[in-house]
Amino acid sequence: MNFDWSVVGAHRDALAAAAGTTVLLTVTTMAIAVPCGILVASVRLYAWAPLRAIATAYVELFRNLPLILVVYWAFYVLPIATDLRLSPFATGLAALALNVTAYNAETFRAGIGSIRRGQLEAAMALGMSRAQAVRRIVLPQAVRRILPVLASTWVSLFKDTSLVSVIAVTELAYVAMQIRAQTFRVLEMLTAMAAIYWLLGYPQAKLVDWIQRRYAVTE
Amino acid sequence: MTFDLSVITDHWRFLAYGIGVTVALAAASGAASLALGFVVALARLFGPRWAKHAVVLYIDSMRAVPLLVVLVWTFFALPILTGLTMRPFAAALIGLTVHLAAYAAEIYRAGIESVRPGQTRASLALGMSRAQILRRIVLPQALVRMLPAFGSLLSVTIKDTAIASVIAVPELMRQSETLAGQSFQPIEVYSFAMLAYFLILFPVTRGVDRLYRHVAHLGRS
Amino acid sequence: MSRRAKENGAKIIRYRGVTKRYGAFEALSGVDLDVHAGEVVCLIGPSGSGKSTLLRCTNALETIDGGEIEFEGAQLPRVERTLREVRRRMGMVFQSFELFPHLTALHNVAEAPRTVLKARRAEAEDRARAMLAKVGLSDKASNYPAALSGGQQQRVAIARALAMEPDVMLFDEPTSALDPETIGEVLSVMKALADEGMTMVVVTHEMTFARRVGDWVAVFDAGRIVEQGPPRQIFDAPTTERTRDFLSHLGWHGATL
Repeated sequence: MNFDWSVVGAHRDALAAAAGTTVLLTVTTMAIAVPCGILVASVRLYAWAPLRAIATAYVELFRNLPLILVVYWAFYVLPIATDLRLSPFATGLAALALNVTAYNAETFRAGIGSIRRGQLEAAMALGMSRAQAVRRIVLPQAVRRILPVLASTWVSLFKDTSLVSVIAVTELAYVAMQIRAQTFRVLEMLTAMAAIYWLLGYPQAKLVDWIQRRYAVTE
Repeated sequence: MTFDLSVITDHWRFLAYGIGVTVALAAASGAASLALGFVVALARLFGPRWAKHAVVLYIDSMRAVPLLVVLVWTFFALPILTGLTMRPFAAALIGLTVHLAAYAAEIYRAGIESVRPGQTRASLALGMSRAQILRRIVLPQALVRMLPAFGSLLSVTIKDTAIASVIAVPELMRQSETLAGQSFQPIEVYSFAMLAYFLILFPVTRGVDRLYRHVAHLGRS
Repeated sequence: MSRRAKENGAKIIRYRGVTKRYGAFEALSGVDLDVHAGEVVCLIGPSGSGKSTLLRCTNALETIDGGEIEFEGAQLPRVERTLREVRRRMGMVFQSFELFPHLTALHNVAEAPRTVLKARRAEAEDRARAMLAKVGLSDKASNYPAALSGGQQQRVAIARALAMEPDVMLFDEPTSALDPETIGEVLSVMKALADEGMTMVVVTHEMTFARRVGDWVAVFDAGRIVEQGPPRQIFDAPTTERTRDFLSHLGWHGATL
């Protein structure tokens, strides 16, 4: 049993770039999934019944499917359904965004719904319009409840980017496993992969804890 | 675009086998992680300081490292370290259990901590031992609150079994991949897989939603 | 000022045959009641008898199914925008206070003048400070609701409603959620308001308050008013069995003043 850890150092540039892609995927997905999640949540809360049903169906669908399957499905079906030839990165991004939007929609909907009806009534009793009441009274309170959940979703997303490696997106998992295949240094590369994820993910997990402590709701 | 379902019907046994493995893996790792998670939670709540630190490190590490990485490492790297060969199912079982137990431990901890400390004080005043208090007073109250979270974890477990496909465990995802590759009909095969997963998961998530609503009014005891 | 004198004043609110149903359950079955300017009308009765429902229908937080409610001579509008204007002229105080937890006491009181009346920030805050002084909480202006006692929160809630300069104040069991020690401070504020001539409709279980401060008392039971009249009549010489039953259940054996 001999280990050659230098192989990790030798490929540090490739690994760093791959880690960057992982982060890019995470950030871009969230940038899409937050506004889209708000949109879907609004539809579920306030729109006309048939639209509400469609939004609910969308959310329920993606809550009940494994993400890795959505990634494969996107890879094979999207080109045929949309006539677009998307890069693996774009396909992976689409799958991730579809998935996270559904979870965010649920988070936003539950967050807003958790604010007591009495708050809305008190605001309207003062003469505010429903829109004013939601904007100035309900939403600020809802944000406090939503933020910790969103932070938690972010960290899950960060881990889930590893799944798009199955369609050859050059993020950290894929690149690390490629190097493993090329150099045959299995233990070294896989441990390095785990270590890099750990180094990136651990602080994020701790940040989520801090956010949850700071925004703990006391009534 | 023609939708040819014969690929599904011709190979239904192959796919059904995959569903069986999915269910078996989910059940086994679910049960194992419940057991391991309980031990870990007890260590964190009642163990010595070094144990608490070790547990926190373990739990936070599982929050930071993707399951795919854990599974791949368990299957390919662990045998090199230990010299033991491992079958894919076993590796998946170990990886899933270790990963999920961290989340289970947090659910146990949150549930136990949500029971008012006054309950423990009153029991101590009556002369009960800590073990008795846990078993007869705290856990029964905590269990109800933990149910929805465990239901969620079950849902996650079932979805996570699909990741075991990357280490060639013949569960549904893997079987679908194989069939899709051989038949050149990925749309039909993957659509079937989506339907199958949805039909398995939907009752679970629905049940969890109902549980959450049922428990919501409990708040703190 | 006795009721008789006020009866010559304008009718601020008129309820005529008001009915309200929740599914099959009839919460209000034909309520007739008048509220005159400057009057304090107290609604009493067992839980679930419709008192709070009537109050919530008054500022259209709930819509009625039959009869009519007139406010300052006009029926309650149906269009949301006009309804909002009407709501500005009514102040409501809730049992659960419903202060906005993310705003300080000062901003709670200043919020509606700014948002609804489009007052400028300085102006709104000045008015808020004045209202807080009126309820005796000037020193709590920069506190958040979580740091205030129940009685203090309810007083801020009263100040918040007053900041809109309403023509009538609606109180929905304002002291039911308070500790006994703090009930007094809220009732004092309400009495001071009444002495200034504010028109008030108060749903309450505080019989002493109704007896002393009320000009008119209506006894509710199962969605109807079974008896109404001056406090003297209701509390000292009730004319119906239901009223007598209700009062004796509360342990009310005549005035103890």
